[in-house]
Amino acid sequence: MTSSTLVGDLAFGLGGIHAWAMATAAVIAASCALVGTLLVVRRMSLVGDAISHAVLPGIAVAVLAGGRPGGPLVFLGAVAAAMLTVWLTQGLRAAGGLTEDAGAGVVFTTLFAIGVVLVGLAPPGTHLDAACVLYGELAFLPFDTISIAGQPVPRAFVAGATVLAGLVAAAVATWKLQVFTAFDPAGARMAGIPVVGVTTGLLAATAVATVASFDAVGAVLVVAMLVAPAAAAELLTRRLHRMVVVAMALGAVAACVGYLAAWRLHTSAAGMIAVVLGLEYAAAAVLAPDDGLAARLIGRVRLAWRVAREDRLATVWRAEEAGNRAAARPQTPHEAVVVRWLEFTGHLLRDGSSWRLSPAGRREAENVVRSHRLWEAWLGRHADLPLDHLHPPAEWVEHHLGAEMRERLEADMDERAADPHGREIPPEA
Amino acid sequence: MTAAAGILAHNTVVVALGVAAVGFAAGVVGSLCVLRKRALAGDAAAHATLVGVAGAFLATGRRDLATLLAGALVAACAGLGMLVLVRRFTRTRDDAATALVIGVSFGLGITLVSGLPAWGYANSAGLEQFLLGHTAALTARDAWLLAAVAAVAVAAVAAILKEATLVAFDAAFAAATGWPVSGIDYLIVGLVALMVVAGLPAVGAVLVTALVVIPPVAARFWTDRVGTMVVLSGLIGLAAAAVGVAASAARPGLATGPLVVIAAAGAFAVSFLCAPHRGWIARRAEAARGLTVRRGDDEGEAGR
Amino acid sequence: MTPPTRPLVEFHDVTVAYGRRPVVWNVDLVIDSPCLFGIIGPNGAGKSTLLKAALGLVPLVGGEVRFFGEPLGRVRSRVGYVPQRETVDWDFPVNVMDVVLMGTYGRLGWFRRPGDRERRLARECLDRVGLADVASRQIGRLSGGQQQRVFLARALAQQADIYFLDEPMAGVDVRSQERIFHVLDDLKAAGSLVVVVHHDLRTAAEWFDRVALVDRRVVASGRTIDTLTPENLQRTYAGHVDVLDDLAQAIAARGRTP
Repeated sequence: MTSSTLVGDLAFGLGGIHAWAMATAAVIAASCALVGTLLVVRRMSLVGDAISHAVLPGIAVAVLAGGRPGGPLVFLGAVAAAMLTVWLTQGLRAAGGLTEDAGAGVVFTTLFAIGVVLVGLAPPGTHLDAACVLYGELAFLPFDTISIAGQPVPRAFVAGATVLAGLVAAAVATWKLQVFTAFDPAGARMAGIPVVGVTTGLLAATAVATVASFDAVGAVLVVAMLVAPAAAAELLTRRLHRMVVVAMALGAVAACVGYLAAWRLHTSAAGMIAVVLGLEYAAAAVLAPDDGLAARLIGRVRLAWRVAREDRLATVWRAEEAGNRAAARPQTPHEAVVVRWLEFTGHLLRDGSSWRLSPAGRREAENVVRSHRLWEAWLGRHADLPLDHLHPPAEWVEHHLGAEMRERLEADMDERAADPHGREIPPEA
Repeated sequence: MTAAAGILAHNTVVVALGVAAVGFAAGVVGSLCVLRKRALAGDAAAHATLVGVAGAFLATGRRDLATLLAGALVAACAGLGMLVLVRRFTRTRDDAATALVIGVSFGLGITLVSGLPAWGYANSAGLEQFLLGHTAALTARDAWLLAAVAAVAVAAVAAILKEATLVAFDAAFAAATGWPVSGIDYLIVGLVALMVVAGLPAVGAVLVTALVVIPPVAARFWTDRVGTMVVLSGLIGLAAAAVGVAASAARPGLATGPLVVIAAAGAFAVSFLCAPHRGWIARRAEAARGLTVRRGDDEGEAGR
Repeated sequence: MTPPTRPLVEFHDVTVAYGRRPVVWNVDLVIDSPCLFGIIGPNGAGKSTLLKAALGLVPLVGGEVRFFGEPLGRVRSRVGYVPQRETVDWDFPVNVMDVVLMGTYGRLGWFRRPGDRERRLARECLDRVGLADVASRQIGRLSGGQQQRVFLARALAQQADIYFLDEPMAGVDVRSQERIFHVLDDLKAAGSLVVVVHHDLRTAAEWFDRVALVDRRVVASGRTIDTLTPENLQRTYAGHVDVLDDLAQAIAARGRTP
């Protein structure tokens, strides 16, 4: 697995090999990401994990029976093994009362173990050995070429590209069915969609994608290529068709970057691809627009600042209403900072030892107080609360009411525009 | 030569006993996990161990089992920690999070294990045996270490069996009556991580979950009592480990892990088919005779 | 004149949220004497959520709940709980006696196993709910009503002063319901407070001394005859709470409603 054994690179030229290897990895990763998105959305990630392990005996049997690695017999063997896995898992659940994950755990470990033993029984030279099974040999794939239009093209790339094309075609053809089944299986069933057939198709596609990846990244890392790009894409968008495209892009990028990094660091390409996928996921978790950690933190800070501003403006307004100018002064350093800022933006005006509201500030302050008192009124009418328990809830709800909601709350009231304490409710500013 | 053969035979027996002890403990600890419906929690821990093994070697330069397994334990807990973080801070659901940690941590492990020879660590070859298990390389001292870890784990389970059963059966009731459900969950998962690490030499990272999942699931068919299930699960794990090690000693070229798993699967198949009352054959026979599983009948219980 | 005692249960400005989204708003409720207390409301009103928040199973985002004037942590042994039946896997390998014994674990503490005293207590509790002869049956082989009674027996084994029950009559046949109600009535007579989340208005009017009508907030509470008025029922079951739902969404998004 080291670069020192790249003896034949003179035949291709260094760039050529790397380009082909990356292209192969990219199409494989894209296939896995496509299938994986549907698995993740349907909460079938562990089934994907199970299938990626359990295809091994199918592949081994096919190879021992004379099939060529990457040839049609091997694909068939893999699909058969995948179907066997699912059938056994469901069977164990129905007949033995096992939970889904326990059943899968029993089935795929057993099948994988059988597969490893079969691989051990394979005669030497059948291009199948334990290490390859576990983490593939991406670096060597470009050397096995077939001729297309007179050019040497790696066989693995051809297989991978074919699989990708096939999967994309299948996905496009069955797209509506996939979406419906993914988001509302019960509804899909009632609408007459053959949910079982759609699911079986997805599982067969998983098996096919797994086999296509086998040579490149081996059994265990397929699960990373199935799930990681999809999980990252799920954080970035909520629309399924976008999710699929983003996942495929993330997979392809990780394949190329991972391959190059592995070449630089003299280590396994498959491993590095998985690591890069992990980093992509982490980046998505932090940077995702609405749900990402960064976005949430920013949202929290922005809300806190808005609340501080609005509270200060409302305090000054109440001070004016009560005729108590001193009450408009900040009591803590934090409040002083808010006051300075409001002064800077022109919402507060300096007035001797205290402050007063500018027209803009008055408008905003009145809406805050209006929100507060409307909420107190609504709560007083609709909830069983004593009078002195209305202020605290209104203190935080007031920052979340918009103009339309205020209109609704006002319309819900009887004629008198006063809060439960008898104070006047300012009109919309 | 006879003396050497004698020592070798003794070594094999001790190793077999050590691994069998791990099999027993894995079955016992696995029961808690299966009861708690977290059967595959160990899988994430298992795949992360490879990073720890390589990392321990990188950090200390030592290759003795204790060091490598210590690193594996740290990495296993880190993998589980990642799971917790993902669950807590992202929208990603549990099954995807588990698969994610499995794939990425294993990838990192493979990167390290593959890179070590190229990075100049000449004596790093052989770390790969932790992928599928290879008991032939274990010494008697290693076996004692494994047996000690196994004993600690079994003692821990015995101590908290009542609390763990309560939490597994009805976590809401447990929390309401003041039990630290999260803490107990962490303890159970921590024990699984420990067993996964102890099982590495024998079964390898890829297959060690089987040792924690298959024996309890098999044991469940034979009994309706938690205590019996736990002990039976341990015995099945022990038997599978012993058989696997013996088979591996007979064919030294084969990795041990798959053989242990196949043995466990055999026990599972027997349990699934032949267990009284809950086994498949027994159920078909009952159905054929027209008996159904007796549920309490509200109408027939007038006066109760 | 006896000095004023602390209320048995007091909810003070309790707001509960799932994530950032409030689902129960500003609940104020005081129960100061033993009685059969019903929490009534439509589906999705947050009744179970309120119960779970009181027991510390779901975090509060505002307010507090006190029992006998203390936070729950200090008086846990005096508070019993019967959760909803669906939360449990009835195929679990335990029998009826095992489950009832779990009620004694709180007083046993860590590491100690139940002994003769606990088994006697468990048998008594099983007797009270009429399940003494199924003590060694695996719980999956019980009917719905029997399962509910097992849960009740487990709560009785806690020997508490306040009992919280979450939909104990859901999916239970009429005869078992009557039976359960009689056990609860006996508890009240013995001086315990029994708080029940309940969905059926007709039986609520019959069984409970006091009720709270809840739909995301407390609409009204007090003696059953005073509270279950047509007007209050209208406000609870046909009230317009889209205001609260829209507001909850805005709060969850850290923004404003339109």
